[in-house]
Amino acid sequence: MTPQSPNNGPVLREHTYDGIQEYDQKLPNWWLFTWYITMVWFVIAWVAYYQLNLGESGEEQVDKALANIQAVQLKELEKLTDDKLWEMSKDEKIVGAGAATYATTCVACHAPDLSAHLNGAKLPGQPLNDTEWKHGGNPLQLLGIVRKGAPDLTKGMPAWEPQLGLNRVVEVVAFVLSKHKKGEPITLSADSPLKPGAAPAAPTAPAPATGN
Amino acid sequence: MTTNASKITIEFDDRTVRRFMIASIIWGIVGMLAGVFIASQLNFHQLNLTSWLSFGRLRPLHTNAVIFAFVGNMMFAGIYYSTQRLCKARLASDLLSNIHFWGWQLIIVAAAITLPLGLTRGQEYAELIWPINIAVALIWVVFAVNFFWTLAKRNEPSLYVALWFYIATIITIAMLYIVNHLSIPTSWTHSYTIFSGVQNGLVQWWYGHNAVAFFLTTPILGIMYYFLPKAAERPVYSYRLSIVHFWSLVFLYIWAGPHHLLNTALPKWLQMLGTFFSLMLWAPSWGGMLNGLLTLRGAWDKLRTDPVIKFFVAGVTFYGMSTFEGPLLSIRAVNALSHYSDWTIGHVHAGAMGWNGFMAAGMFYWLTPKLYGAKLHSTNWANFHFWIGTIGILIYVGAMWVSGIMQGLMLNATTPDGLALVYPNFIDTLTSIRAMMGFRIIGGSLYLVGMILMAVNIWLTIRKGSPVNESREVAVIERTQRDTMGLKETFLNDPIACTLAGMLLVLAWLFLPPGADIAALICAGVFGVLAVKRFQSGHGRWSAWYDSLLHNWMPFTVLTFVAVALGGLIQIIPTVMVNRATNVEDRIQQPYTPLELAGRDIYVSEGCYNCHSQMIRTMLPDVLRYGDYSRLGESIYDHPFQWGSKRTGPDLAREGGKYPHSWHYDHMMDPRAISVGSNMPAYPNLFTEKFDQKTLWKKIAVMTQLGVPYPAMTDTEVKTTAVEQGIQIVKELETQGRSGALPDTKIIAIIAYLQKLGKYDVPELEEKLKKTPEGIPFPLKPGIPDGYRTSAVTK
Repeated sequence: MTPQSPNNGPVLREHTYDGIQEYDQKLPNWWLFTWYITMVWFVIAWVAYYQLNLGESGEEQVDKALANIQAVQLKELEKLTDDKLWEMSKDEKIVGAGAATYATTCVACHAPDLSAHLNGAKLPGQPLNDTEWKHGGNPLQLLGIVRKGAPDLTKGMPAWEPQLGLNRVVEVVAFVLSKHKKGEPITLSADSPLKPGAAPAAPTAPAPATGN
Repeated sequence: MTTNASKITIEFDDRTVRRFMIASIIWGIVGMLAGVFIASQLNFHQLNLTSWLSFGRLRPLHTNAVIFAFVGNMMFAGIYYSTQRLCKARLASDLLSNIHFWGWQLIIVAAAITLPLGLTRGQEYAELIWPINIAVALIWVVFAVNFFWTLAKRNEPSLYVALWFYIATIITIAMLYIVNHLSIPTSWTHSYTIFSGVQNGLVQWWYGHNAVAFFLTTPILGIMYYFLPKAAERPVYSYRLSIVHFWSLVFLYIWAGPHHLLNTALPKWLQMLGTFFSLMLWAPSWGGMLNGLLTLRGAWDKLRTDPVIKFFVAGVTFYGMSTFEGPLLSIRAVNALSHYSDWTIGHVHAGAMGWNGFMAAGMFYWLTPKLYGAKLHSTNWANFHFWIGTIGILIYVGAMWVSGIMQGLMLNATTPDGLALVYPNFIDTLTSIRAMMGFRIIGGSLYLVGMILMAVNIWLTIRKGSPVNESREVAVIERTQRDTMGLKETFLNDPIACTLAGMLLVLAWLFLPPGADIAALICAGVFGVLAVKRFQSGHGRWSAWYDSLLHNWMPFTVLTFVAVALGGLIQIIPTVMVNRATNVEDRIQQPYTPLELAGRDIYVSEGCYNCHSQMIRTMLPDVLRYGDYSRLGESIYDHPFQWGSKRTGPDLAREGGKYPHSWHYDHMMDPRAISVGSNMPAYPNLFTEKFDQKTLWKKIAVMTQLGVPYPAMTDTEVKTTAVEQGIQIVKELETQGRSGALPDTKIIAIIAYLQKLGKYDVPELEEKLKKTPEGIPFPLKPGIPDGYRTSAVTK
């Protein structure tokens, strides 16, 4: 007995399992071809990207993009001087943009009023509204610390240049400078690493217990 | 077929089926309730009420409950019901059935207690602690024995396709579970996995991806093959499609795990295998969907009236959708956007709620009247369940698509000149998806309402009827009609020989050095053509062999095991065997000090990895935002690895030294004091609880055993070193204006750990060899394909 399906094509298999029967239809062509394409793609892509090494790897792309960013920044930095930054601190547009970045990125540690104090409590950052500086108060020194972070990282400032980009860093510096006056007296705080004779920054963390 | 056979009457063990079904419904509601709760916590951080009700501890509870308790019990109900009927035999042992049921429920209860207590192994869907792992393995063996024993006693010579899927499920889950849970205990409640860093990542996602494949997919496909044609009363669409898609599915699935690690430090060859096997998996997955949907040809009218068919059709459709989305997300470029985002969350929920949940509902609505001898209490309620569930899924998945794609685009956006990120603050991207996270709560809640409605409906049906155990007269078959195939017959035949030889050639193409690889590829092509020719001429012999294979459960199981074992062996063995020094990319992680290790265990225990990754991908936006991309050697001592799979918060791979201690101190006490708009739970309990000093020495001893280069230290030395470092941190905190911290509290340990993240040495070759443990001794050291390439590997 070979029961036929209604469309008289596929064979209904003879055996039943707990009353369940099975047709033996051919595999749909579109399905088969989809599958074949994925297999052929595997072969082509493996040979091309892997064995012939065509195209750039993720690492190469990142390294290239970073090199480009660095080159552009170098050029930009050459243009920046203390005077130029003071000039920028008078530019409302630049200061406004800096204030916006400050409000989202810096405020948590340096407080809205730059005092690094909130409701009487000391925040993790240094005060920026006085004339005493830990890492130097010249505009370019400020720029350096925002770009690259503090030398002793566990006690200080992260490097913001990668995350914010040089433009935003310059704007933030202009914003901070706008709260100061050119020519005001600048002093170094007691714990400043810039003070003559100051101890070099301590190691960031206790040495790991590796004795080998 | 069954001439001259004697007839006997058997009573099926339907009590076990009923128990598993009820357990599944109850745990399903519990698990989904946990899901709605943790989804709400993401939007309302205040809901992190106490330490044991915090997101990081409850999220594993939600995933484990839904996977192992809801789908697990549902699968056991479906498998036990259908296997008895497909074998025309009662379940082999009532004792084993009892042990299986109660053992499994005890495991679930143990999980529900330990996870909120913060007892965890810190790997996704593999969080349960080692004593529970052993219980799971034992109960799984009980299940396997009960199942295979029933097969051995069967009165139906041939194995139906549903049973093929059950067999694949049982043996593969056993293999995955055991390998991924290999650990060395440090106490009754804690252990370290034997794998670290990239090895751990590879093994974890080999397991994690295939938990989806062999716990959430294959058993449910088997259930579909039994219950769908039963409910539709139509023949299955295509037997040969069953064969092709079964074997290709179980073989290909195993290879796809690395697609969870795309653009990471994972070696290139593994990333590529992950992507391409995922793409090749698309059609085999759809084979299952086609066989389900096309079986309904001629029965589509039932879709209007029968809620069972509605659930099955929607379930299979969601399966088709997720298995299309899966390969899509495995493409490197798409993954760069979607990975770590809500898109992945939406994807798994389309599968879990759409496919697993709806197949479960369809099966329960079909089973209940049969198991209790009463008409379903209300078809209207079941229809309502269907619609509210469908709307719930669509809202949920839609919200997650929007959320994932939006946040992914924002995180990856760079200014047109390519110099800076458009959204440098992570928190901005989080704030923008808050509304979508709200819709997720609504979608999930609607789905949960449907589940509760089903529970009530089934409860009222049960009250109307009474338990019925079906009895049937079956013909006892003679032993000669089944299970006669020997080893020779199993392996020495055209289909197996051609498949294995073809695979060997493909492997040679992947692994051999340049030149030989292309030669192997050409050979594989030629061999393929010859094999197809041989198949065309010997077609009859091939199908006769397969028919006889179906009469033999043991050879079938052995061949299935070969198919599922290959992918893992080929990916994992080279990665584990190779001397690690050749695979660290010239950076070696600095080992954790005792205090940092204690902090790390707290990080793992609080489930921080549920929201924070520690893997900076080889992508410009990641590098700008978090720092230099992560290298393999930087997590070489991480047992378990913490690369993560979701970034609800930012990556922490290079968090060490970024902020002063006081920043972390304030942030842990109240994240919103530092980061306005953050949804991170506050951790005030860390400020009072002491870190574990008692087992710290044992932990370091186990780490040493696992190859981490610690100097010899006594118990006292370990404690002193830890507390001394704690005192140092407390002093530093004081200079930063944070007084009152105690050096032996958890907060100090976790600050120590966070400040260590991303610290590495750049060793000379000799030092490198000394510092990195050798691979497992093995006579044959396989080469890593990347070793032959220039760009992807250092030295």
